Amino acid sequence: MANRRGSTGDRTPPFPFAGAILLAVAISAATVAWARWRFLRVAIEGGSMLPTLAPGDWVVVDRGPFRDYRPRPGDVILGRDPRAPEREIVKRVDHIDLHGAAWLLGDNPAESTDSRQFGALPPGAAAGRVRWRYWPPSRISRVR
Amino acid sequence: MNLVSRILRPSRVAFAHCDGPCGVYDPASARIAAEAVLSMEKKLAALGDGQDLATQNTRGRFIAIKEQQAELAKKELDILWHDYFKPEHLEKYPNLHDTFWKAAKLCSKNKTESDPANGEALLAAIEEVHKIFWATKNRDVAFYRAS
Repeated sequence: MANRRGSTGDRTPPFPFAGAILLAVAISAATVAWARWRFLRVAIEGGSMLPTLAPGDWVVVDRGPFRDYRPRPGDVILGRDPRAPEREIVKRVDHIDLHGAAWLLGDNPAESTDSRQFGALPPGAAAGRVRWRYWPPSRISRVR
Repeated sequence: MNLVSRILRPSRVAFAHCDGPCGVYDPASARIAAEAVLSMEKKLAALGDGQDLATQNTRGRFIAIKEQQAELAKKELDILWHDYFKPEHLEKYPNLHDTFWKAAKLCSKNKTESDPANGEALLAAIEEVHKIFWATKNRDVAFYRAS
């Protein structure tokens, strides 16, 4: 190949699109890593969120694009039981009080243990919002 | 297929449960206390009205146990009433409060009197609680007595 004046010299790339492909791979890897950080796959146990969520449902929890998730009234959230922090729970946010704490209530209140028993979830204690159900296939839908 | 299921399978479990601090409730504990009350009332009736020291002592013990067990029955009923039952249950069973109120009143009556009829009435009231309790859990549990 001719050595053009002003070019970077004879460092001809071994494959013309190598840079572009490397960039594409890097971007996809970053996207996958980001998506894995942002979205969690969670299995539901128990009936306190019936009929919205049934035991055995698999859902996607959205932790928010960049910063920590902040619960809003009406959201179905993934949080932690204040009495037993190793225990993750799914409930609906009833309201946010003056201190920013989330008061949770099950959609099936007769069979739910929620903020009526354990009080409010402190600010920052909600991991994310339940956005979609992806299993079972017959029940694939958004979760509202 | 293995890869697909690995991608799909949730990485964690979240609970949408209902539980009390221990989560174990059963009207049976009130029923057992009420049976002890009835048993003491029957023993008191069988004891007669002898005034010798031994009979008086035995009567005193029977009365003490009867009152203690009636108090226990009242407490066990209160635990169900306050801790287990929720406003949603009251909507479905509007006679819930009345049932508990009458049962608690019967516990008091069993303390102040010694008529076995009161013990029978208390057990009947606890059977009503039993029916509502297991209905809220959609379970068919037969009421029975230990004695």
